[in-house]
Amino acid sequence: MAQTTLERYGGVGLHLFVLGIVVVAESIGLIRIPIGIAAVILLPILYAFAMGIILNPNIMKGTRRVLSGNATKVAGTMIAISIMPFIAKFGTTVGPQIQKVIETGPALVLQEIGNLGTILVAFPVAVFLLKMGREAIGATYSIDREPNLALIADKYGLNSPEGAGAMGVYATGTIIGTFVFAIMPPLIHGLGIFDVRALAMSCGVGSGSMLAACTGALVSAAPTDKDMILALAAASNILTYATGLYAGVFVALPLTEWLYRISRGEQTSSISREAQS
Amino acid sequence: MTIETIKNTAVSADILNVEDERRIDLAHHALLLLVACVLGLISNWVATKVDPMTALPGMAFLYAISIVGLLLAKFVPFYLPSVAWISLVAILVTIPGVPGSALIVEQVGKLNFLALATPALAYGGLALTQNEFQIARTSGWKIVIVAICVMFGTYMGSVVVADVTLKLFE
Repeated sequence: MAQTTLERYGGVGLHLFVLGIVVVAESIGLIRIPIGIAAVILLPILYAFAMGIILNPNIMKGTRRVLSGNATKVAGTMIAISIMPFIAKFGTTVGPQIQKVIETGPALVLQEIGNLGTILVAFPVAVFLLKMGREAIGATYSIDREPNLALIADKYGLNSPEGAGAMGVYATGTIIGTFVFAIMPPLIHGLGIFDVRALAMSCGVGSGSMLAACTGALVSAAPTDKDMILALAAASNILTYATGLYAGVFVALPLTEWLYRISRGEQTSSISREAQS
Repeated sequence: MTIETIKNTAVSADILNVEDERRIDLAHHALLLLVACVLGLISNWVATKVDPMTALPGMAFLYAISIVGLLLAKFVPFYLPSVAWISLVAILVTIPGVPGSALIVEQVGKLNFLALATPALAYGGLALTQNEFQIARTSGWKIVIVAICVMFGTYMGSVVVADVTLKLFE
């Protein structure tokens, strides 16, 4: 009985592993590599994630003996749960800054539309440069986190080409998303073109770990604006929770579908024209 | 489509191993949350040298906020993910003038936000399934390029719109 109860919590091993990883990652601390006017910022969360992957029972056979069979599954539940104190802490940064956050209200709301930028950038690359098929629709219509993936699963099924595209970006994003969102914002900040508030409120576009990486990196690039960066990122993150699924259903997915139809339609006709001449 | 799609989307979340937040076992989650908070305190300790006893009241507030958020996600009739509820509760209790807000802000201030995310990322690395590694491997280099473009495009799109709007409204 005791064994099964413990099993339900993934065994002690899993949590001790995490404890060890956390202590090592936080002991290393933040590393800043200056390149020109900007800097690449390496954060403890990146080392923690990398160490987690290295010790993952699917990667390192040795850890299978130490971790109980359902450790991976419980670890999945623990991501959702251990991000909660972080999200709560994040929320507490908004209250004291509520006046400033409200002042940026129009930008906060409108930047949600900016999330469609993925279609602008990724869709042409996928369809014209990489010649992808309908996978491109699932892959590029959104940042493909869980709610977006669920939408694709519902409309096309995960075994469809659209589903394969969405799953591919989902899995890739899960593995490299934290790194991308830690590296990208400080470099863009270094350009000196964009308001740091705009960079901050755009941190809330993806998953919790992307949010953490993005704000962490941005705060170390602009430490004097720390309170405002946290508050704006937290506020936009809530907006994304509230609007993300609806934006996908009503705007992003229909738009991507339509773009796919016209771009492939044009191509078919240009091919047939070539055939005629 | 529309409402039906949104309803079905919540159902198909099961396939993706996303837990239905209306059916979660609260006692089970409350205990796991306790484990997460202990890890957060240790992470904060190593990162900021603030010892766990000093940071404990702040963490207790975060724990309470998280539990209230979980309860709201479970019992409020319309769907919002628990993290959204947690954020809203956290904002509400820290707005200046709300009773106790000054105390909460002061205590929570002893916790470093980034240190609290470290345990989640460690679990994240350990949680990757064979399936996810397999998908990433078989999807190939094209998907990696597309994924980077997706992340860049989503972020930059937001940045540009936000930046232009901020400048227009000032």
